[in-house]
Amino acid sequence: MDRLLDLRFVIGLFFLTVGALLVVYTSFSSNDEQYVMINGSCGALFTVFGILMIWLSRNRKE
Amino acid sequence: MKLQLHFIDYLIIAIYFLFVIGIGFLLKRKIKTGNDFLMSNRNIPLWITSLAFISANLGAQEVLGMAANGAKYGLYTVHFYWLGAVLAMIFLGIFMMPFYYGSKARSVPEYLKLRFDEKTRTFNALTFAAMTVFSSGVSLYALAMLMQVVLGWDFDVSIWLAAGVVLIYTILGGLTSAVYNEVLQFFLIVLGIAPLVFIALNKAGGWEGIVQHVDDAKLHVWKGLSNPSSNPMGVDAFGMVFGLGFVLAFGYWCTDFLVVQRALISRSLNDAQRTPIIAAVPKILMPLIVILPGIVILSLQKQYQGFALPVNANNQINYNMVLPVLLQRLYPSGILGVGITALIASFMSGMAGNVTAFNTVWTFDIYQSHIKKNASEKHYLYVGKAATIFGILISIATAYVAKGFNSIMDLLQLVFSFVNAPLFATFFLGMFWKRTTGHAAFWGLLAGTSTAAITYALTTAEGKGGWIANIHSFYSATGQAFTIAWVSFLVCFIVTILISLITEPRPENELIGLVYSLTPKQRDKSKVWYKNPLWLGILILIITIIFNIIFF
Repeated sequence: MDRLLDLRFVIGLFFLTVGALLVVYTSFSSNDEQYVMINGSCGALFTVFGILMIWLSRNRKE
Repeated sequence: MKLQLHFIDYLIIAIYFLFVIGIGFLLKRKIKTGNDFLMSNRNIPLWITSLAFISANLGAQEVLGMAANGAKYGLYTVHFYWLGAVLAMIFLGIFMMPFYYGSKARSVPEYLKLRFDEKTRTFNALTFAAMTVFSSGVSLYALAMLMQVVLGWDFDVSIWLAAGVVLIYTILGGLTSAVYNEVLQFFLIVLGIAPLVFIALNKAGGWEGIVQHVDDAKLHVWKGLSNPSSNPMGVDAFGMVFGLGFVLAFGYWCTDFLVVQRALISRSLNDAQRTPIIAAVPKILMPLIVILPGIVILSLQKQYQGFALPVNANNQINYNMVLPVLLQRLYPSGILGVGITALIASFMSGMAGNVTAFNTVWTFDIYQSHIKKNASEKHYLYVGKAATIFGILISIATAYVAKGFNSIMDLLQLVFSFVNAPLFATFFLGMFWKRTTGHAAFWGLLAGTSTAAITYALTTAEGKGGWIANIHSFYSATGQAFTIAWVSFLVCFIVTILISLITEPRPENELIGLVYSLTPKQRDKSKVWYKNPLWLGILILIITIIFNIIFF
């Protein structure tokens, strides 16, 4: 439960969720190539940021 | 103009709402006393207080307003950051925070009580409480208007939905919940808008494309300040440096409890001192997110069709639509949901910041001080929660009032300069001149605030002001605001000195820890440079000067 109170974990989970959603949406989207690239790269960026924040929360100093 | 949202966009907005409310629920079990609810038990880590410090200021006016100013005034807008914020934040951290934090004051008005007297505290508490709920209401109104114009959402639904979400997470988790959400909102605003700036800049041909297509007068920071008529902001160097850089900026960043509160909940004095200084780092870079879009759109307008800004009811260009136009033209569905969520987050961040500052000042400086002095912690917890509900209801009412009176937003900005500018004179003298007395502080504040109102009533700018007569017309409303600020500051400063000289000062032993010259200086030479507020401040100052030189 305390893990959920670590703000880094919460922020990480949020961006991981939104990033993954964008990546999945991109793979099913029929938009033109430029729009697919924007959603895909932003999704990837958010996912990486989310994972980084979660990783930081795992390595916190107690 | 209307943006077309799809299921994925609504889903992202819903996920955001779920997270902000979830944070409130998770923190609920940690809130047991009034101190937990209103002060976070002074136990928030440095990185969170630093980001919350700038995020509390990253409201609607900042995100939409600075993009608008970027298009209207060009690079001169960065003075609000590089001149108007960074110096004041460093000053707050190094010189003022030891007195705020060290005196154990729970709020800015409470420091005034410790340093001066009850009447000065009450005056500041009342004006501040009024300012925060009005500001929160205007933020709510702006959100609902934007959602109505851009997304076609119902005005009433937007107001009640946003207010409801803010109410849930602030009443559940108190200040900690508001601060946690501010940090989430900070990342969302930065990561949601940064790709937009990158795409827009790329489309415009990079910085070269801007230089080629944007009027050179809008691409400098200092060059045109020799005369108000030679820069788009209509301000001269004196008004900029003294009005904005000194009075307005120091008045806001050093005395406004909304931001100071974020530093006061730090774990130690050193953390409290470093909070505004570390916050200055992202503050220096913030123009890339909030001002650059306004300049880039000017270049895009010259090169492509479809980037023109709409006009408002008075047939004037609506600069506030810079970000919505860029979102519409450059973001596809999906990331568009993130961009819209970032805008909603900025409004909610501004509103929650104001509401949490209001409930603290109401509970400690008005209720505990004048209505019920020695109640239990549990009692003050309930009062704090009741104040939160009351503050949000007043905000909703203000939003509806603002809907009927367009000028209320201008009025609010003016009230800020009326209140904050003279207040800085009071703090400056109170902290650095031991002879300053309580009577002098009170009458100085009153004189400064009245002078601000009178100056506005005797001058005009862009058709506003001049309620009594028009003895001077300014080139711009910004120039008028800067002048009102330094005039009211000077009047408060002089009146406070004069009355101090003819009234009885407090004994020096009562002022230890409250006045600079009477407080023992703590010198911890063992600290590494990044833990030393002074060295950190100097480093950030040097970086800021370099930025000013590059864009001179």
